[in-house]
Amino acid sequence: MLGELLLVSGISKTYGEDGDRPSSVIGEISFALGRGEIVSIVGPSGCGKTTLLNLLCGLIPPSCGKVHWRGRALAGMPERVGYMLQKDLLLPWRTALGNVTLGLELQNMGIGEREKRAHHLLRVVGLSDFYDYYPSALSGGMRQRVALARTLVTDPEVLLFDEPFAALDFQTKLVLESDTARLVRKEGRSLLMITHDVEEAVSLSDRVIVLTHRPSRIRAVHQIDLGTERGDMMAARESPCFVDYVRTIWSELEVRANDG
Amino acid sequence: MTVASADRLWLSASRLRAMRRDVAVIACQIGLLVALLAAWERAAGSQALNAFLFGSPSAIWGYLARMAQDGTLIRYSWVTGLETLLGFLFGNVIGTVLGLALWYSRFVSRVMQPFIVAVGSIPIVALAPVVIIWFGTGLASKIVMSTLSVVVVALVIAYKGALSIDDDQINLMRTLGAGKRQIFQKLVVPASLGDIFAGLKLTVGFALIGAIIGEFMSSSEGLGHAIFKAGSLYIISKVFAALVATIALALALTYLVGKLERFLMPWRKYD
Repeated sequence: MLGELLLVSGISKTYGEDGDRPSSVIGEISFALGRGEIVSIVGPSGCGKTTLLNLLCGLIPPSCGKVHWRGRALAGMPERVGYMLQKDLLLPWRTALGNVTLGLELQNMGIGEREKRAHHLLRVVGLSDFYDYYPSALSGGMRQRVALARTLVTDPEVLLFDEPFAALDFQTKLVLESDTARLVRKEGRSLLMITHDVEEAVSLSDRVIVLTHRPSRIRAVHQIDLGTERGDMMAARESPCFVDYVRTIWSELEVRANDG
Repeated sequence: MTVASADRLWLSASRLRAMRRDVAVIACQIGLLVALLAAWERAAGSQALNAFLFGSPSAIWGYLARMAQDGTLIRYSWVTGLETLLGFLFGNVIGTVLGLALWYSRFVSRVMQPFIVAVGSIPIVALAPVVIIWFGTGLASKIVMSTLSVVVVALVIAYKGALSIDDDQINLMRTLGAGKRQIFQKLVVPASLGDIFAGLKLTVGFALIGAIIGEFMSSSEGLGHAIFKAGSLYIISKVFAALVATIALALALTYLVGKLERFLMPWRKYD
């Protein structure tokens, strides 16, 4: 197991442990992420999916359990990890190019090299003509694409996505899902994605992990085999097994009518 | 007629309508002003209003003309304008630096909190006697008054602006490998400057108040001085004349600051 990129063992998180109303968000979660794998985590609202990602990134400490990156216990921020949220979090005072070079600036890379890489990535996400636009002049889908470029420019090995496409319209979502799948597979990166959208999870991933309500545990793990070429979102949805996977996972999600 | 040329005709027709509406607005504004001035002049002339107490537009105009002629209009406007601009500049710079420094150390900001609230709640007028004694009756004391009117507001705006930065934004910087200093430099400072620049029109108003109050207390020139002196001699029309000049100065400064704001924040054009 030490060969895995990411190993999560027995993670739990309880807030307010010292107080009189501790709230347990994550009960116990263990899983592994290998090289080149795409894994999705689905679960009902409030089951601690975002908390889990924050734990993996080292932004908050777990109450119990261990996180191992590349065989070593997590200390500080893991290296070569790209993090992307639903909010694009683009800095409004920087152009698209300026936003993409942000991660490279923080690594003290020279300006020539930074801009070269940023331009390349903007071309990859199809926004090379918009490099000098400010975020306020871009649509939601375009901003998320800039955020994707920003996430990829530092050449991360592992991507952690927290419902990045949830706020987009269906067509833009499909396009970005395809682009992401393509970029991840082509470069052999790994992706751990939190999503609400079961269809997105099934069409995109090699494996889908289903969580319970809080305190969350793993309800089920599904190995996805659609028999189609990876990265073709429409073909995936047309595959005969697709509907079965979606239905099964849907029923496991225990979606309650009065969930927040 | 093709679709394209029909579109163009429709566009220019709606633009024409928009222009006509703009002209109508301006015409109403001028009309309103003229009507008010005319009514005022009539009332003053026909003894319905006590001309001594209320002044009249013609007298106001006379004083304005006289002030323009003997150079006091330009000189006084320049003095008050300078005091305002310098106070605006110093107040914003000092306030912003202090406010951002408070973000850097949560401990220091907690220690300083009650002091800032206390100082910020002092009405500027109450500080005037002390300022005059310490800085004399010349330009310096007015600049200090103007600065003091701005500094606490700028500090609070900078500090609150820094605090209101999205935690997710800060976390993102951390995941990109940024240390506290880099987060401060690349995120906190630009984000707060946005709030400061947006508050510039507010602080220029405060700066003007500080300058005028300083001139009220003790001065030999400036628009506040003119207002005060004419007021104490009961020359109401002259008070109004100086007031008109002050309004003109305030509008000019606000307009300039508005242009500065738009220059400093080009990314807000589409807001």
